[in-house]
Amino acid sequence: MQREEKQLDAALEALLQRINDLKTSIRTLLFRLENEYASLSWPSFLDSYAVISGQMNTLLKVMKNDKTPLLRNLIVLPLVLSPDPDEELKQATEGRVVAFSHDITPDMLRTKPDPDVEQRQNQFEQRASQVPPETAQKQINALNKVVNHVLEQITHSREDWENEATVRAAAAQTCVMADTHTLIAAVGLGKNLKTLPIAAPAQPGPGRAQAGPAPGKTTSTIKTTIKAASQVHPYNR
Amino acid sequence: MAGNQNPISAIDMLTSALRSNIIPNQEYLLQGSVIDSSAEVLHNRLRGLCDAAETGPETFHDHEMCFSLKASSPGGTPQQQQSFLLRVRRALDHPEYPWQLRYLGQPELGEKNQPTVLRSCIDIACTPNVVEFLSELGCRIEFEYVLKGYLFRKGRMKVTMSKIFRMGQAKSPDSLEAMTGSYLVELSLLAPSGQDAVADEIKVFAEQLRPLVHLEKIDYRRLQSYS
Amino acid sequence: MGVIVLQLFAVPEGKSGPQVIDILTKRVTSLGGVLSGSFMVDCETYTSVASLGATRSVHLLHNSETPASVFALLEAASGNKTVALVADNLFDLLMLKLSNFYQAKKQTKIESRGPRFEAGDFLVKLGSVTMGPTFKGILVEVEYQACSLPAACWDLIREFMQGFLGGCVPSTPPQYIQNRFGDMLGPIDGINQYLEQFNAFRKTTGIR
Repeated sequence: MQREEKQLDAALEALLQRINDLKTSIRTLLFRLENEYASLSWPSFLDSYAVISGQMNTLLKVMKNDKTPLLRNLIVLPLVLSPDPDEELKQATEGRVVAFSHDITPDMLRTKPDPDVEQRQNQFEQRASQVPPETAQKQINALNKVVNHVLEQITHSREDWENEATVRAAAAQTCVMADTHTLIAAVGLGKNLKTLPIAAPAQPGPGRAQAGPAPGKTTSTIKTTIKAASQVHPYNR
Repeated sequence: MAGNQNPISAIDMLTSALRSNIIPNQEYLLQGSVIDSSAEVLHNRLRGLCDAAETGPETFHDHEMCFSLKASSPGGTPQQQQSFLLRVRRALDHPEYPWQLRYLGQPELGEKNQPTVLRSCIDIACTPNVVEFLSELGCRIEFEYVLKGYLFRKGRMKVTMSKIFRMGQAKSPDSLEAMTGSYLVELSLLAPSGQDAVADEIKVFAEQLRPLVHLEKIDYRRLQSYS
Repeated sequence: MGVIVLQLFAVPEGKSGPQVIDILTKRVTSLGGVLSGSFMVDCETYTSVASLGATRSVHLLHNSETPASVFALLEAASGNKTVALVADNLFDLLMLKLSNFYQAKKQTKIESRGPRFEAGDFLVKLGSVTMGPTFKGILVEVEYQACSLPAACWDLIREFMQGFLGGCVPSTPPQYIQNRFGDMLGPIDGINQYLEQFNAFRKTTGIR
């Protein structure tokens, strides 16, 4: 019993938070509509809608949460109704509800939708039940086809746009990655540039394979190479 | 030449300079390449973007040799050898210029948000007997090549377009063969370590050279595995 | 560029290094020398580690007269050749990076420092040589800046030196100069002589 009460409290807290957030964003949207209607652009309006939709999502998630007890099984029952202004109530509702009286209670605690909304909903249900099942099925299939068709068109256009961009880049190719790699490997590691020992046959091929003789051979090569280099250069300080 | 009132030893000056982090010993680098047919276009674009547009870029024709110093450990297995690479570069078109001795550390590519390759770099000008010096020091020559190209400057940044040539067997400058049909483009800046704002400068400049050439961080050690 | 000659001045019995410097200073100023600051030449030696093969030594010298340069003298493994490299100050940094291969022997750091005088075209430096805290001797450097050819100016230099150093100056030039009597000399030759003298100082215990 205790646990359930605690859970209920926690759930109510969460719900209250979410609803407050929702209320704030709706209020901001209304404010913007009233005051900035001249400078408002459709995309920014849609953004605010997106915020509200996100918040509704979170609200629904909280309600579906496992920790929340089944709110369906609980009812809100007014215990005392009085026409006198209640200070605490006023503060809690930010001055909107002054007294918990008989006329506002039906509005505050109702569970059915608005009367006109209810009427329209009944109308729709009537029309839907009047349609025979085959026509209904046909209509559903037609709708599915149309939606898929539109989806296809969108994906095709997107692919075309992407291809266009890559084709443009390929046509103006000014660098070859393979060359980049070769050059950088050559400068950094000496790939394909190893000095070949003079004893080995002169081939500018895979120098790495041939340039790995015994250290003795290499040192003699170095002396000859270095001597040649120092002779070439006139400055001998 | 007037002498100093109280000369500080060079080692002390160096240590204090190191401590106050004013020695430019880090290189921030981006590399790429451009094929020969588009090299002219890149050259013109760089002329427009860089300093000294009227006098034109400097050309260089250098010969670079790479030496390594290896100490074999008593165990003797090659993996335990510590290798130390030093590069010597001389200007073939200006034999009177001093030669350049360069130490390059391992390149660090860092995270994705690090815009450039970072490697420690020490550039030292020296007399031409450096090759003899290095070989007596115990270094052996690993490889060499000739570079010919253009050098551009923008502020502290240096952009080079170089064509790499393999040395012919006869070691004369005539028997040169180009390695690839592209110019190697390098964008670099030398600064003391820790000045990461310069990396962003480099990145911004590199963006201006797209799509002609894509300058990016390339780890050449990984390239060793490609054939 | 000029001809640099180094002369060892033996410290007489009973006198200390600073006293000798004072005496020499008086003599130089009476010859017309004007004090213009001080100088320092120092030398640090790095030896190769055993895993590099035969032992080689690199001597790194700095001269306050050429503050932007570092002189690296490498003694070849075979022992009969020295390669002298002149490089930028950052070469010191490179030697530090090579510490895995070449290690400095701190105890052998040797330097010569003292006052510097200008007397017309001559530059006279009276150096007290110290190795760590120990005083090793007096080394006098004389540079004749107007000429780079020893053959043309040795006599003039000798006469000038005998003027304030007295009889210790030999009438024949030092071996190093003799070997290059007809060549154009430069800063590196002064440094080579300093290395010779420093090596001699290192080998002797006590004061030379």
